[in-house]
Amino acid sequence: MITPMAHCSPGSALVAFRSVNKSFGSTQALVDLSLEGLASSVHAITGENGAGKSTLMNLLAGVHQPDSGEIRVRGQPVRIESPAQAQRAGISTIFQELTLLPNLTVAENLFLGREPHRAGIINRSLMRRRAEEALDLVKCRVDVNTYCQTLSVAAQQLIEIAKGLMADADVFILDEPTAALNGPEVDTLGELIHSLRTAGKLVFYISHRLEEIFRFSDTVSVLKDGRLVGTSAASELTQDELISLMVGRPLGQLYPPRNPSRNQLRCALEISDLSPSDAGRAVSFTIGRGEILGFAGLQGQGQREIIRAVAGVGPHVGGRITKRGPDDTVRTVGRSIVAVARSGIGFIPEDRKSEGLYLSLSIEHNVALGMLRELSVWRRARVRKAGIDELLARMRVRSNDQAQPVSSLSGGNQQKVMLGRWLASGVDVLLVEEPTRGVDVGAKSEIYTLLRGFANSGGAVLIASSELTEILGLCDRILVVRAGEITAELDGVAASEREIMRYALAGTMAEARKEL
Amino acid sequence: MAISTAKPNRSGLRPATIALPVLLFVALSFLSPAFLSVQNLSNINGQIAALLIVSLGQLVVALIGGIDLSVGATLSLTTTIIVSVSPDLAVVAALLAGVAVGLVNGIGVTIAGVHPLIMTMASMTFLQGLALLIHPVPGGTVPDYLGDLASTSAAGVPAAFFWCVGAVMIASFLLSTTRFGLRLFAIGANQASAARNGIAVKWYSIGCYVICSVTATVAGIFISARVSSGDATVGAPFALDSVTAISMGGVQLAGGTGSVTGVVLGTIALGLLTNGMNLVGISPFLRTAATGMLLLLAISMQRRNVIGV
Repeated sequence: MITPMAHCSPGSALVAFRSVNKSFGSTQALVDLSLEGLASSVHAITGENGAGKSTLMNLLAGVHQPDSGEIRVRGQPVRIESPAQAQRAGISTIFQELTLLPNLTVAENLFLGREPHRAGIINRSLMRRRAEEALDLVKCRVDVNTYCQTLSVAAQQLIEIAKGLMADADVFILDEPTAALNGPEVDTLGELIHSLRTAGKLVFYISHRLEEIFRFSDTVSVLKDGRLVGTSAASELTQDELISLMVGRPLGQLYPPRNPSRNQLRCALEISDLSPSDAGRAVSFTIGRGEILGFAGLQGQGQREIIRAVAGVGPHVGGRITKRGPDDTVRTVGRSIVAVARSGIGFIPEDRKSEGLYLSLSIEHNVALGMLRELSVWRRARVRKAGIDELLARMRVRSNDQAQPVSSLSGGNQQKVMLGRWLASGVDVLLVEEPTRGVDVGAKSEIYTLLRGFANSGGAVLIASSELTEILGLCDRILVVRAGEITAELDGVAASEREIMRYALAGTMAEARKEL
Repeated sequence: MAISTAKPNRSGLRPATIALPVLLFVALSFLSPAFLSVQNLSNINGQIAALLIVSLGQLVVALIGGIDLSVGATLSLTTTIIVSVSPDLAVVAALLAGVAVGLVNGIGVTIAGVHPLIMTMASMTFLQGLALLIHPVPGGTVPDYLGDLASTSAAGVPAAFFWCVGAVMIASFLLSTTRFGLRLFAIGANQASAARNGIAVKWYSIGCYVICSVTATVAGIFISARVSSGDATVGAPFALDSVTAISMGGVQLAGGTGSVTGVVLGTIALGLLTNGMNLVGISPFLRTAATGMLLLLAISMQRRNVIGV
């Protein structure tokens, strides 16, 4: 069923990746990856979050360059240093995030960087006419003289697509193009993709929407952890086979044992009808003492917004958060980050460098700031040094000297210092974003043990992670979030990667059951 | 240029921007009988011409989200160069100095990554010292051909008016018809997106600082012709005045929003205020105080994401 790409004859490929490697810091985003895209075909690239799909396409789009390996276009090895160079090489990219400029009109945005002109003076009537033609193509009915800031996200996405398709290119990369589109708009996109294929172009279609992959593509390649799992004709695959290619790997002994007595959990934090924005839906859930609760789902489905709203960092338009103390006293948690911290809730942001740590301060000062949290501003700041020593030893922070700045530590040790600050401050609820991003395996395991220990001593932990294995290995209970809604609540022990993916992809419980 | 306030656009023009100079004009014509005299109106024109030219340069830098505080010192330096260099080379030397200042500012901001406020404040201080070194005491002789350019009048219209019209026409042409102008708006809104569309952001930014310094030089040439002397401190108020004028004209210092029309209106409003205070007999020091408050007021009234620059 799965044909390794090596079997393809080399000459027929329009684009070929040959053993490309790419790493960001200590993370290997792509490992010895080889892939070929043929002319007159739609090639879907799929895989879990962080599998390397976007990285691979960014190499082709000139956003990143490979560390080693080679990219061939029309059989010729090329080095694509910039987006402009990619355009000249006949590669047109429709990026995942919107890049339209709000203070330019639709027509100006469509032609920015290649405005029709004579001696530097823009030919506005020609530009408008060609912009109208481009919009007709994607069936987008907006005035080309409108400023883009007034347009809906769906209209902006259609304009991005029109802009990408307008380019005189042979290779088109569509990175999650349908995120904001409705049914008829997706149909139109399907027709356009079909006509590109008929015209002999190669389309790379990046998506984890299974139904679109099967509808649009001829060939499917699945990536996992930066490696190519396999390439196959779409017609020879079933949805189930595709899902099992995307997921399913052994969890190993990375994770500490779970809390066995989960049945009589006392509630620590109750979130009711919380909405992070006016447009988003309200969510309600509870976190119990002794429990690690996890948010799972595809990237950008609203997990981050929810956890940030609880932490008082992100916006928060409605809803109530109440906290039960260890002695069962109930209090409402305020909306600001200060109020949240005062009520004994710690927040560990995903970007520890810019939001979490004081990089130029020493390890001990970073931890001590947590201990001093309760003190009045005027009290003399005196820290029990023995306490810090003991804590750092317990966390196995590897450093030569506690006076060394945190910036000199490795990612894993930095993460531990951040965790240590909250542990030292005596909070009993922790909200953690991406607990082990950019952290090596050894430190990962230690961080999991620390979090589990915190829960076992009566703390409550909420984790949002894009790594599914981490959620499955660590959490007692899992909430799957899709489009800002909690679509499923699963038991951490019983849940499988497959089940989570089903809910994350398919949406509502009813729909998922039907498919199961 | 169409003025529309119902739909959001990138001109930054709002009812208050247009109303302020009109209201000031009406109020002053009632308050002071001397205001509407031909003599006074031509006087106002002369006073604001230099500020208008400098402000149009400031607009170009503000559109990409920058600021240039060295315009006043550049203007002063120009007047000292005009009276110190041999008459044949005076104008060329001044323009070359202007280009050099713009290049240093632009390279400092875009390549070395110095914050525009700090970069141009540093060059402001440097240029002020240089101007005083060249020509410590006001005076000197301006080439004859320059005197004619600023003081004659054609068909009853003073020369200053032609300088204004010329500057406005060039700026409008640049910003609303050329690729260069459009791309400045794009860079000001989002540098990364602009770069992704293949725009060489760094070169455009350096270009903006050069344009700004050159306009300050042109204003300096105009001033030396008008007052027929060199003065190493004549430009001092221009840095803050030009930023105030463009802010009153709806230009957002964060970049991406602004228009030539707005700058013209803002400059006229500031000029009328100065002139009015003179006529009514208010201390010129109070005028300086008022400029500071106006800047804060104009910035506070703008819709924007960040307060200040």
